[in-house]
Amino acid sequence: MNKDTTTFAIILSVIDFFLCFVMIAGIGLIISLLRYLDKFGKLDEDKMRM
Amino acid sequence: MFDQTLSFLAALGEQTGLAQFYWGNVVMMAVGVAMILLAIVKKYEPLLLVGIGFACIIANVPGSSLLEPGGLFYDAYLGVSMLILPPLIFFGVGAMTDFGPMLANPKLVILGAAAHLGIFVALISAKLLGFSIYEAGAIGIIGGADGPMAIFMAVKLAPKLLPQISVAAYSYMALMPLIQPPVMRMLTTKKERMIRMRQLRVVSRLERIAFPIVVGVLINLLLPPVAPLITMLMMGNLFKEVIVTDRLAQAAANTIMNVTLILLDVAIGSTMVADKFLTFATIEVLALGLFAFMIGTGSGVIGAKLMNLVLKEKINPLLGSAGIASVPIAARVTATVALQDDPENFLIYQAMGPNLAGVFGTALSGGIMLALLK
Repeated sequence: MNKDTTTFAIILSVIDFFLCFVMIAGIGLIISLLRYLDKFGKLDEDKMRM
Repeated sequence: MFDQTLSFLAALGEQTGLAQFYWGNVVMMAVGVAMILLAIVKKYEPLLLVGIGFACIIANVPGSSLLEPGGLFYDAYLGVSMLILPPLIFFGVGAMTDFGPMLANPKLVILGAAAHLGIFVALISAKLLGFSIYEAGAIGIIGGADGPMAIFMAVKLAPKLLPQISVAAYSYMALMPLIQPPVMRMLTTKKERMIRMRQLRVVSRLERIAFPIVVGVLINLLLPPVAPLITMLMMGNLFKEVIVTDRLAQAAANTIMNVTLILLDVAIGSTMVADKFLTFATIEVLALGLFAFMIGTGSGVIGAKLMNLVLKEKINPLLGSAGIASVPIAARVTATVALQDDPENFLIYQAMGPNLAGVFGTALSGGIMLALLK
């Protein structure tokens, strides 16, 4: 496949933009799950600073 | 005797740079002076513009050996072309960055993708202008407003355009307070700009520590092409968040960051030599970069407005413009524009969320692009 064409540039852009949304939404989802880590315990920051 | 003295002086003159001086050098020296003046008078990113401007002036003095192999500027540039400096910058940024605003409001991370439409509009435009697909990809990434990432992509895809791309990326990042506000105001009403945001929740230490580890694994797993940058970003952040490596985090955020920044300034400024820089391709790259920044700012704002169609609690659409990377400049611009309409509407903390997501947005766009172009 000849990649050096305007058509390929458009296809690449559409796929990239769409996948970027999907992946960043995935990161957002994982970030939103991190808050549940606190249910397993908490870190004592004062002890960490000693 | 008189003739001999004259010929002696003429021979001496030929050995200096004076004989090779031409109008292009004067133009580029003036550009360098303008950068320094912008930094001093307007306070536009002085840490970048003073060094870049100075190196640009010196690089345009004909006869200087600094640009030749073994020269100071040449060696500094090796740090860029060998991709040593961009990961180090990310390392320092990670150690300086509080990802709390992003962790506290995860739904805003989507703006980090929305504000990157400029990348693809610039990519297609560059292809239409006759650049190769690889050059077009590297030019497009300027729209991500992430200097180290733009350099990284330029080295990978179009090393010949590295000077133009790095100068465009860093210059426009410095000029964001001028570029973004007109676009932001054009796409929003005063009422929208005055929307106030709820205070963000407190993010626990455990979340802050888990975040860089999880993201580091994910990026290496899914997008190895951009792993060097994000891995260093996450390592710097981990050093900061675990507290027990405070000394290393301080070194990364201060000493290492400052040294790297100086080398980067010198490296970028030294590429702005008249005979290579004063070309039509440079004008095209600069124009496309500016276009990408404006489109990205606009698409971020529109993305935020689209989110408001489905969200119960409306967000201030100005936050969308912060989704373009360039931490923390874009977030500062968002906060400044919001304050102009409502002096008590402090959006800086909320704007940091999409702004940080923008770093990931640019890295993801670049990683996917590299994978598709392989």
